Amino acid sequence: MSFNRREFLKTLTSTTVVVPLYACAAPGGGKGGKARVVVVGGGFGGATAAKYLKMMDGSLDVTLVERNKTFVSCPLSNEVISGHGKFEDLQAGYDGLMKRGVNVVFDDATAVDPAGKAVKLKSGKTLKYDFLVLSPGIDFNYGGVAGYSEELANTTHPHAYKAGPQTLALKKQVESMQDGQVFVLSVPPGPFRCPPGPYERASQIASYFKHHGKGKCKILIADSNDSFSKKGLFEQAWKMHYPGMIEWVAGAAGGKVVKFDAKTNTASSDFNDFKGDVVNIIPPHHAGHIAKNTGLTNDKGWCTVDMLTMESTVHKDIFVVGDSTVHGDLPVYGAPKSAHMANTQAKVAVGNILAKINGTPSPEPFFVNTCYSIAEKDWGFSVVHIYRAKDGKLVYDQKAGGISPVTMADDTQLKLQRKLESEYCIGWFKNIMADAFA
Amino acid sequence: MRSKLLFALAALGCLAQPALAGPTEDLARTCNACHGVNGVSVGPSMPSIGGLPEAHLKNVMLQWKTDERYSATMGRHFKGYTEAELSALATYYAKMPWVPVVQKADDKVVAQGKGATERCETCHGATGGQPDDDETPRLNGQWAKYMEMELMKYRTESVKMPHKKMRGNAKKLADEDVPASAQFYAAQPK
Repeated sequence: MSFNRREFLKTLTSTTVVVPLYACAAPGGGKGGKARVVVVGGGFGGATAAKYLKMMDGSLDVTLVERNKTFVSCPLSNEVISGHGKFEDLQAGYDGLMKRGVNVVFDDATAVDPAGKAVKLKSGKTLKYDFLVLSPGIDFNYGGVAGYSEELANTTHPHAYKAGPQTLALKKQVESMQDGQVFVLSVPPGPFRCPPGPYERASQIASYFKHHGKGKCKILIADSNDSFSKKGLFEQAWKMHYPGMIEWVAGAAGGKVVKFDAKTNTASSDFNDFKGDVVNIIPPHHAGHIAKNTGLTNDKGWCTVDMLTMESTVHKDIFVVGDSTVHGDLPVYGAPKSAHMANTQAKVAVGNILAKINGTPSPEPFFVNTCYSIAEKDWGFSVVHIYRAKDGKLVYDQKAGGISPVTMADDTQLKLQRKLESEYCIGWFKNIMADAFA
Repeated sequence: MRSKLLFALAALGCLAQPALAGPTEDLARTCNACHGVNGVSVGPSMPSIGGLPEAHLKNVMLQWKTDERYSATMGRHFKGYTEAELSALATYYAKMPWVPVVQKADDKVVAQGKGATERCETCHGATGGQPDDDETPRLNGQWAKYMEMELMKYRTESVKMPHKKMRGNAKKLADEDVPASAQFYAAQPK
């Protein structure tokens, strides 16, 4: 079918096609002509989304709602616990986003009304939106370990799995340990954020012990799972750098901690008691509360999204990015909950929001994840994932990606590889922080 | 009716706007996470890539894809890209301006680096900013840490690095000249 411009106009005016007010927002266009995009959550996902929305279309009305004035990164927070990194380097403010024209509102988003397209804030304000990007991260299910609680986490037993004051509290506890004492680390059932995080934490704490005359200390990992991310790489590093210091107890071997007694510092599974001088319980996770309250979560507590666009499968015009989503076709858990995934998901969500606004086709989806871990000074490694659409589904490219080589032709090569990736980890961190906040 | 018509015209104008993004831009946006917006890195171990010569970018990316050149991480990425995509990315980044990140260093170290890099001049130019051909990277204002690590690769005999001349010259450097050379180029604005 073809018709000329005159007929096209006629069609437009004689039908009930509703052109949204924001259609064709010209850069610097007048009030009311802008699409309103609200972003909830200013972590790696939300901050990146807010920045790229503004960067790719300056005329958009972008509001970011975030509780805290200063962001603290989870990536590289294990290095702060061990003393290899500085807490200050984990922090970023929101000035960079403000300079780009993002309205940053320091408030708590308490509810979303998907039908009325509005976000309610704790202060009583309501923000109307045309599109919502939800990046609420994770919240903890403290009930998953009987006897553990938010109160304990904030006082005597930090989980330190959201970076902040608890990171420094755990660091202090590690530093107070005497040679020969035992550190117990309890790992929740997957999926959890930063899949290699607990094992990097064990490595970093072992590094602290090793370099501070506490080489007889032991680290006991009580795991709810039967395998873990980069397992071969971590086990090799432990054997080389911390022989005999780290013991891993799989879920099948009775590692799944279900209760905790703070008085005796004992974490227990159905089969074993793990008594430690310091016990670090990482509670099970689910998507941030607001996602559940909005009805976006599945029966396991995670947000399901259209894998190719990041739009919620429950409510249209709501895009969910970051740790709160299940995404990708990797067995059981989907794509890893990493800062890099949140970054790449945010960019895909932004591309799709702009396509909706401009009435253009959805961009070809491309997702990439790079996740570095540092097990010891000059000893880093990574896992890479690339996801593309195939027959309408999102598929992990098996030809690409994967973990760093475990073995190489000789020791010199292996040392070079680990050294390079330990340095790339720091460079990655600086760039991904800037990509979100600068 | 009149307002409806105006509205329709506005909608038409909208259709005439250029696309905000294309497939190469969409791919490149994911590179920003490690290499910075417009390929200007802010992390010392990660190279800036915006404004590097096209043939150089293309060579290195394709060599990584096929494992002809050793890489710690990038080979695993590029096996997931087609040759056409990598070529398009090379063209895209080569068109960007080269933004040197000038890093100050101790005068003595810079002087030592200058002395040690005489043999590099023929291909990279006196200050690293005047590469002899399109296959040679710019070095001025590139990150020192990154260049030092690239030299480490060239100096490690058992990893695959395809440029014989570069390997030979990198191996001729004395150990202490490696960081000095990197810091010399990093300190050059042009």
